[in-house]
Amino acid sequence: MTTFGSTAALRATMDAYFRDVGAAAEQHLAPVAWCTSVGPAELLRALGFRVFFPENHAAMMGAARTANRYMPLAHAHGYSQEICSYLTSDIGAYLAGESPMQAYGLSGTPRADVLVFNTNQCRDVRDWFEWYGRRWNVPVVGMRSPRAIETVRDDDVDAIARQIEALVPALEAVAGTRLDAGRLEHAVRASRECSDLWEACLRTAARRPAPLNFFDATIHMGPAVVLRGADEAVTYYRTLLAELEGRAAARSAAVEGEAFRLYWDGMPIWGRLRALSSLFAEFRTAVVASTYCNSWIFSALDPADPVRSMARSSLELFIVRSEEAKEDYIARMLDLYHADGIVFHDCRTCPNNTNTRYGMPRRLGERLGIPTLVLDGDVNDLRCVSDEQMRTNVEGFIEQIADARPAAGSAAS
Amino acid sequence: MSQESMKLAAGIDIGTECVKAVVVGDDGRVRGRAVAPTRGYFQTCAHEALASACEDAQTDPAALAGIGTTGFAMECVANASVRVGDSSCHALGAFQQVAEPMTLVDIGGRDPHVIWVDDLGRRTDARGIRRCALGVGSFLMFTARHLDVPPSRLQELAAAAERAVPVSSYCSVFSAGEVLERLREGATREEIALGCIQSIAERIVEIGGFRDPLYVCGGVVDYFPGVLTALQSLAGVPVRVVPDPIYTAAVGAALMSLRQGEVS
Repeated sequence: MTTFGSTAALRATMDAYFRDVGAAAEQHLAPVAWCTSVGPAELLRALGFRVFFPENHAAMMGAARTANRYMPLAHAHGYSQEICSYLTSDIGAYLAGESPMQAYGLSGTPRADVLVFNTNQCRDVRDWFEWYGRRWNVPVVGMRSPRAIETVRDDDVDAIARQIEALVPALEAVAGTRLDAGRLEHAVRASRECSDLWEACLRTAARRPAPLNFFDATIHMGPAVVLRGADEAVTYYRTLLAELEGRAAARSAAVEGEAFRLYWDGMPIWGRLRALSSLFAEFRTAVVASTYCNSWIFSALDPADPVRSMARSSLELFIVRSEEAKEDYIARMLDLYHADGIVFHDCRTCPNNTNTRYGMPRRLGERLGIPTLVLDGDVNDLRCVSDEQMRTNVEGFIEQIADARPAAGSAAS
Repeated sequence: MSQESMKLAAGIDIGTECVKAVVVGDDGRVRGRAVAPTRGYFQTCAHEALASACEDAQTDPAALAGIGTTGFAMECVANASVRVGDSSCHALGAFQQVAEPMTLVDIGGRDPHVIWVDDLGRRTDARGIRRCALGVGSFLMFTARHLDVPPSRLQELAAAAERAVPVSSYCSVFSAGEVLERLREGATREEIALGCIQSIAERIVEIGGFRDPLYVCGGVVDYFPGVLTALQSLAGVPVRVVPDPIYTAAVGAALMSLRQGEVS
């Protein structure tokens, strides 16, 4: 992983965020809403909620490799090994009475006053939130998204906008306040600014050599995930962008001697982030861009039309698009980032964020004339990961790219 | 060219079931070969196999121009001059033997791969089996244990079967359980042996993308030729075997070492 000067600011930003949400929940300083990763966070902020994102919470357990300790508790509770390992990690940790939040002085995962889902990710987020809703006897509300969208149409946007508006009375009742149009506009503006800055940060990796790679980005995307719609995220990404632009100008590479560039599609394998980063670096390969990190770019957000633009952003999201739209998107990214190939992660427990199962790698490989690799794994469940198989496959894949381009030199170690 | 003036290199393929070592001349011919079972201490196994291959080639290990390593534990050979992934070695090793672009199926102890090889012996693409169906060679070893025969007799058992009892699980571990279930239901050991051998071929056919000419390499076809027979009946194109199939990756590793010597 690359060492960035901004890491201290990242840690301070995330630390302040976790402590703020924790204090709100434990000292009842403000209402707390749980929100799925691309749920209506801006609306919740405008209503004065402190917003907690359990997918981020679960990813922290994946990265710390504690998730495998918790998942069996959820399995024993009737939640299958085949469903989202974020869900089973998080519920298992709750049943164990443990949480990464304890490192921030909290007693555990912050208790929600309301849970707000958006099924644009999957059905699992709703099942996940309903478990807590029953446990805590608090409302669970949300948006039900269409899926496999070819082109985002106005009638789809209208339908989602109406769903967002329909959430308002229930959320106002929990928040104990009325929605203020000015505050919503401010949140959407901050969210859009965060999105633009995050996109600019990622875009620096289009340069050769890339100043950051996918593995770095999964860490530095934290504020874009948990502070979307808040000014703190904007402040952080201004700092990060300045550093990345400086690194790009100085040709400071995330991967020493960068010779090959890849695109990553699918979820990260959180428990193998460092190992994979080292593995690719060993073969002088920078994973320069990813669908995953790009999924926190919401260019449709418009403070002049907050609700409809939130609706459009939620529908333009890669995960809810048709195969054809996804393939066109990846093709554009390969071109933009000058990638030599694609690594697809077949994430065992996350079918919605897996694009290998309906022939996409072969179609894209044939259409674009580029090599593709499928890695079997999982976002949190390391029982689904074979380190040796992963290493062998990556090694062979990069040797193949190197052999096709002899001037770049051998990938052999 | 006399043996004295010929440059020789060794290739060692450290697999999960066997360590294979070869000595190859700069004319591409294999001069010596040896195979040893993989035990936990990889470095010792590699050393033993290399010594035997050198003996077979009637050459002194000190006279080798280089040592290429590949396979599961290639990092364990401290004095390797080059380490290369096994699919690239399989591609080059097979190309050296058959001299034409091909679809190559490698069936070893761990994960089978279908590898596409171009007219320079390079891998142009490769696809593996899904993770929970890994370890096909090891699976056959387990099967032999459940059927109470040495692994070398599994093929003989299968050859005596009049029909195969299907073993359908993706997972090597589940398949082992399925073997016991079939025995309990009254299937004969011969029928199960044949069923297990055929299940390997079925998993490989599912990888897909076979184009003529199709070649097979790896230790499984050496030890369990029934897999080849099953593959021939399912592949839809003629299936041929790379000569000395268990040594293919080791040959590729030795050639990689010789090539490295040419450019350094």
